[in-house]
Amino acid sequence: MIDQHNLKTPCNTMPTLVDTPFSNNKINTDNLPSIQALPFEQLASRYRLIRCWLHFSITFFILVIGLIIYYQLFFILSQHSADIILLTTLILFSLSFMISIYYLLADKQKSFSLREQDISYASGLIFKSVVTQPMLRIQHVELKQGPIERKAKLARLQVFSAGGALHTFEIPGLTLEKAQSIRQFILEHKTLSVQQ
Amino acid sequence: MNTTTAITTINSWQRVSPIALLYFLVKFIKGLVSNFVYLLPALYVSYNHIVKNPTLWLPIVLAVLCLIFILVFLKYYFFKFRIYNNNLEIRSGVFAKKHINLPFERIQNIKLEQPIFYRPFNVVCLLLDTAGSHKQEANIVALNLHDAEQLKKVILTNHQKSTLNNATKNSTTPCNKPELAQERILNTRALFDLILHGLSNNRVWIFLGGLAPFFDEIAEYVTQWLLSLGINIEQILMFNDKPWWQIGFYAFTLTLIILVPISLLSILGAVLSFYNFTLSKIGDRYIRRSGLLTKQEVTMKLSRLQMVIRQQDWLDRLFKRMNVRFEQNQSLENKLNTSAYANKIIVPSVTEKQCQALIDDAYPDNQLQQITFKAISKRYLLRNIGYILLPLYLLLAGFLYINDKTLLLALISPLFAFFTLVIYLRWRRWGYAYDNNYFYLRSGAIGIAIKIFPLYKVQQSQYKQSIFLRKHQLCHVRLVLASGSVVIPYIMQQDGYCLIDNILYIVEETPRSWM
Repeated sequence: MIDQHNLKTPCNTMPTLVDTPFSNNKINTDNLPSIQALPFEQLASRYRLIRCWLHFSITFFILVIGLIIYYQLFFILSQHSADIILLTTLILFSLSFMISIYYLLADKQKSFSLREQDISYASGLIFKSVVTQPMLRIQHVELKQGPIERKAKLARLQVFSAGGALHTFEIPGLTLEKAQSIRQFILEHKTLSVQQ
Repeated sequence: MNTTTAITTINSWQRVSPIALLYFLVKFIKGLVSNFVYLLPALYVSYNHIVKNPTLWLPIVLAVLCLIFILVFLKYYFFKFRIYNNNLEIRSGVFAKKHINLPFERIQNIKLEQPIFYRPFNVVCLLLDTAGSHKQEANIVALNLHDAEQLKKVILTNHQKSTLNNATKNSTTPCNKPELAQERILNTRALFDLILHGLSNNRVWIFLGGLAPFFDEIAEYVTQWLLSLGINIEQILMFNDKPWWQIGFYAFTLTLIILVPISLLSILGAVLSFYNFTLSKIGDRYIRRSGLLTKQEVTMKLSRLQMVIRQQDWLDRLFKRMNVRFEQNQSLENKLNTSAYANKIIVPSVTEKQCQALIDDAYPDNQLQQITFKAISKRYLLRNIGYILLPLYLLLAGFLYINDKTLLLALISPLFAFFTLVIYLRWRRWGYAYDNNYFYLRSGAIGIAIKIFPLYKVQQSQYKQSIFLRKHQLCHVRLVLASGSVVIPYIMQQDGYCLIDNILYIVEETPRSWM
């Protein structure tokens, strides 16, 4: 295999004759490692916990603020505007509550799988997606941490390919150690250095 | 010129040809106009005031003009470049200094551009850019054509040397030194082809970009002109008291009046950008030359090619022509930038035979002719027509029926039929196939687009499935390439997995460079 590679890249000028001594064998698809049966690994449990906390506290914050405005005694609201405030508070509260529940369930679906040659990330409750990024196409790797993530020692792993900014591969909610070791694994993948 | 032989060996800083003054002036004025377009009306209003008070305004105007000329001269004065140790260095800028250093082996694209005012002097702009995701482009503003060609040659031979060195290091392949001199013309386009192209592919936007500041004036002028012909738009638009055939007639003439100039402009646009089109190949490089006013020469390495698109719009189908597009890496910033358009290679309005020849040249072992496309699931129809279009239509129709608006209903029904037809056609067109080397994707509604790309160029794969699709064992697959992404919707789940597994295997099996 490696010999063939060496033949291929340097001389692009004579593609047919040298590189592919026309082989058109059917690849035996049954034996390929499949992404269908990937052993997925869960994200850090505190990632889910923190997100859950965050969403529900925002939800109750909305409720509390609305109720404070409704029941406060500093200035008098007309019956009409009071009704509107109560209604919007309730609507916002229930919406936010539902979104929180959705996130709670959706976060459970987020998982990743690291193989020798690629890394995959699965997500989505209703719209499931599995994104797979081959190591050979990775251009660079980044670890990102927001303030909350830093407190919780969590990190997001971002992987960039030539596919452009729209298709940045990201795994959120990894423990910092795990994120670092994955990054190390990617960087040590021999072919990344070959490309440089 | 005596310097021509020395251009690539001179190691000291040198200035570009003085004609660059003109280039800087034009660029400056362009920048001024596009930045201060909204001031033009104010200028127009104060024009009278200026004419009335020449003693006050004349010195100011002169001073401004002088300032512009001085600025342009300084720009020219501070623009210097040198070729040193296989590096190209450019220093520029009057107030903000800029220093670009480009090693030859990092240069990915070489582009020669010749604005019309350069032509009498035989001078060109040499644009160079690197593969970096952030846009780093160097522009040697004015070079003698001969020098430019020579510099280009030096850069290219440098590439060849480095790749050859690699080759000898890695293996002793019979890589006969690819000759630079042998240029092979792949395709040329005659004026007739360009006219067809202009008709079938709307190239009006080439103008629209430039004309944007003057829309109001144009609209006013056109109305004036129509009035002088005895056509009063306002009168036409009030058609309460006219019989239907007259309205129909007006509508017809109006569309003609709009359509004819648009298609004429479009033809002109096509001719402007593709005049004297030649696509040729030297070694592993494609070279595109075209342009009526501004001549362009774009060089693109075959290995940079990510995808070939064979596109046929509905009028193209009538003319039995198609466009071939060679897509290369694009970062998002480049996509938003209009100049990225110039880096693409489009071969306009070729016949099917020529098209196949071009594709065969780029991808010699492709099987586009033999391959049979696999259709996508019929659920695509059910979802788009059954779950979206039909309920919407029924709702609207019911509402209109209850409110006794039968005329509107009669208008909506054909519209519904039309959309249904389009969705059906789209379903018919969707098709995908792949062999051991290439992926083929067909799509379109009335026109047809076929995308071909080598499997190993895939950057990332995405498998998508909603719970509704899951019930029916269907999925979408998105393949991300460096030139953009393609989606294959509504295919069998098993096929989707199989496709992704195959592609990942091909990508990961051998480390081939996708660039």
